[in-house]
Amino acid sequence: MAEQTYFEDVSEGQELPEIKISPDKQQLVKFAAGSGDFNPLHFDENFPMLKPMGLTENIVHGRFKYAQVGRLVFGFAGYQGRVKKFGVQYRGMDKLNQPIIAKGIVTAKRQESGENLVDLDVWTENAEGKKNTPGTATVALPSRS
Amino acid sequence: MADDFEITDEMKAQIGQETEPWTYEVTTTGVRMYARGIGSTDPVHYDVDFAKKQGFRSIVAPYGFLGTPVFHPDTNDGTFGFPRRAGGPRLNLPFKGLLDGGTETEYFDVICAGDVLEETSHLADIKARGNMVFLTNESVYKDKASGKVVAKQRLTSIHM
Amino acid sequence: MVQVYFEDINVGEEIPQLKKNCSTQQLVLWAAGSGDFYQIHYYKDFAQSTGLKGLIVHGALKNAFLGQLLHDWIGEKGELRRFGCSYRGMDEPNQDILCRGVVTKKYQDGGKNMVELDVWTEKPDGKKTSPGTAVVTLPSKA
Repeated sequence: MAEQTYFEDVSEGQELPEIKISPDKQQLVKFAAGSGDFNPLHFDENFPMLKPMGLTENIVHGRFKYAQVGRLVFGFAGYQGRVKKFGVQYRGMDKLNQPIIAKGIVTAKRQESGENLVDLDVWTENAEGKKNTPGTATVALPSRS
Repeated sequence: MADDFEITDEMKAQIGQETEPWTYEVTTTGVRMYARGIGSTDPVHYDVDFAKKQGFRSIVAPYGFLGTPVFHPDTNDGTFGFPRRAGGPRLNLPFKGLLDGGTETEYFDVICAGDVLEETSHLADIKARGNMVFLTNESVYKDKASGKVVAKQRLTSIHM
Repeated sequence: MVQVYFEDINVGEEIPQLKKNCSTQQLVLWAAGSGDFYQIHYYKDFAQSTGLKGLIVHGALKNAFLGQLLHDWIGEKGELRRFGCSYRGMDEPNQDILCRGVVTKKYQDGGKNMVELDVWTEKPDGKKTSPGTAVVTLPSKA
């Protein structure tokens, strides 16, 4: 975890340090174990539902990508900050062994009920820059004072 | 639209039907496995002493993890683990294809190992687009001991 | 489940068989449950790169099946003291694995009713893939 980010040091338009991961099949099997989602869609190359769903290979769990955005916003919040809310939509599919890059940009800073809140646009994109998992987040940050 | 799958009044009547509660356990093993599953190496998800030094109750559940539903082969789905329980929607959609549409979580506290949560959910929306049906479910997670709401989720699934 | 008693079993007797057939999903569930994420059990290209023909079933999972075979037989009043097997042959997913056991000894030791067994898993052609032994105690009818 990097040094704690403080509310005063954040500015609109600021980009978050990105998180990049290229999950192989072992990573997806570990995610199945961790999340409890054992859908063969993600690890069985002979899964009969691949073809009817228009797929030729296994795809990455949507929630795996959600979790990468989770890592991104947790990294921004730091141990003293709090992630208030984060959500994404699964617009595009990502295949195994391809980079998934989680990114974020600060869109607003505000104070509400005594909390220092930062709103962000967050997403994961693939190697071609296609935003497969667009979303938003709100993080509460501590003050320097 | 003429070509949309028909959403019947019977299906719409299921909106808002609250399920019976289900227990979700957040264990140290579960937190560590989820952290491994997402490729995180942050010690706050693995080392209890470290997490406590940072001011947390125990190791922190990575954002996106709300524990594991108590599993019994008679009640829980073998692939996804979710409980089949009283009160929830019974839609009987005729589709075999299933994709995740979206996930949104709102936090009211940090979730840590040792937490035992109680979850209820309800169908919030059902929409058709062509031969695809979009379901939105909303769940509320409470700390079982205190009854305090710790998280809320909004999940969209696509049936095709 | 009907409880089996020490007085009712005979040396040479075969215990009820347990048939297993592992889907790829089952092997991934085992990886999750055991913490063994070795790719030869779910990633075909990887398995073949190590010289294997294809995916194979974890040896420890077959050991666990034999544990289930014994657990089912001894009932709630029996105790499983020791069991083990060697992973001599490979089993593959989507193929029957038959778990079997035969009573080899009956005796009393320190007031306990001891039963020893040969246990093993075998393929559809009868080839024994995981030969092993077990020691259990059974309750008396009295």
